[in-house]
Amino acid sequence: MPHVLIASLPYLLQGAAVTLWLSLIVIALGTLLGSAIGILATIAGSTIRRLITAYIFTLRGVPVLVVMFLGYYLFPAVGYRVSAYFAVAAAQIVYVSAFVAEIIRSAIVSVPPGQVAAARGLGMRRGAILREVILPQAARIATAPLLNNSLTAVKQTSYASVVGVWELTYAAREVVERTLASFQIFIGVMAIYFVICYPLSMLARWCERRASIVY
Amino acid sequence: MDYVAQILVLMTGLLPKLVAGFAITLAIATAAMPLALVFGLLLLLPRLENSAVLVAPIAAFIEVMRNTPLLLQIYLIYFGLPLLGFYPSEFTCGVLGIAVQHGCFLTEIYRGAIESVSRRQWDAARAIGMGRLKAFRHVILPQALLRILGPLGNQLIILIKDTSLVSAIGVMELTMTGKMAIERSAASAEVFIAIALFYLVLTSGVGGALRVIEARTAGRF
Repeated sequence: MPHVLIASLPYLLQGAAVTLWLSLIVIALGTLLGSAIGILATIAGSTIRRLITAYIFTLRGVPVLVVMFLGYYLFPAVGYRVSAYFAVAAAQIVYVSAFVAEIIRSAIVSVPPGQVAAARGLGMRRGAILREVILPQAARIATAPLLNNSLTAVKQTSYASVVGVWELTYAAREVVERTLASFQIFIGVMAIYFVICYPLSMLARWCERRASIVY
Repeated sequence: MDYVAQILVLMTGLLPKLVAGFAITLAIATAAMPLALVFGLLLLLPRLENSAVLVAPIAAFIEVMRNTPLLLQIYLIYFGLPLLGFYPSEFTCGVLGIAVQHGCFLTEIYRGAIESVSRRQWDAARAIGMGRLKAFRHVILPQALLRILGPLGNQLIILIKDTSLVSAIGVMELTMTGKMAIERSAASAEVFIAIALFYLVLTSGVGGALRVIEARTAGRF
């Protein structure tokens, strides 16, 4: 009987609440920052564009755990005393933003150039073309990859426990160290993550199918 | 100037340790990669054979592995196996965890590539008298392999980055080396910039090599 799991469920659910909050903050701010960077990459001059390429390339080539440790030690090193929670959230937002930027950039680039030419032929201004012609089409292409990216972001929040942030995975380790019921607790906690992640992954798959329909 | 000199002295002192950690990271990746590739294939077999008994449980297993964090899967193996009477090393547990999750992701990539080959290719191959296996080997597989290279490369790069998680169960790989260096010496955040560079060289090297292979094979078939 999973009595240990049942007994520690309230504690684990508190951890799950922290995981949910952390996920929401990271996904919302990471997607916002990444979208801005991705759009900027398609309209800015060559210097800024090169900087953005370097930003995306560097972050995507490094493990998120390393970026989190960097954030964790960098804030104090430059003189800011922040909580581990803040440092880790900031690091994850920056990390997620690089992936979002690449998704948005490539979605914008994949809008057929004829669309822009046609809009210009109608006499639309640059801002209006971006807002009313390019972005709606790019959004359709980017939705499924963005959802998959959010799914990865939720799973990544568990790595914060390695840096010392108390959330669901950290709580699970505490309970296991106390009770030694590793199977019950870890499988139970995996079930909690599954409940959070599975709807997201179903939604992503549904969007993928819809995006592959050509009107 | 003082700062630069200080950092240089620190880094040269740490370099042997970082290189040793990097070697372990490489070892984890090279051990997990073939295992994941083969495990992904094994998971695919029941679906190719249309064996109804196995398809549903394997599909459920894949969904669970894809929708839960790798860190927890590694914990489950590391803290769970001893309860069953197995005592594998931290290294083995890490490699196993990475191989299982990435095997599940790879299965989906294989499946996507095979399904993307037109149904008519199957029908045509069967119509000229090829058996299922022969049709798969000579008609479907070569076409699927061409489409697989891109996503396969991405997955392998994610695998390399995921080796850093093994530090959570105490394997002295690159990330763990950095953490230890900070805890035991005067080193600070700069160590993790050096470590990030190590990872960047590895992932971009593998990424570059895969792109060359992709470009070479693009004209074939």
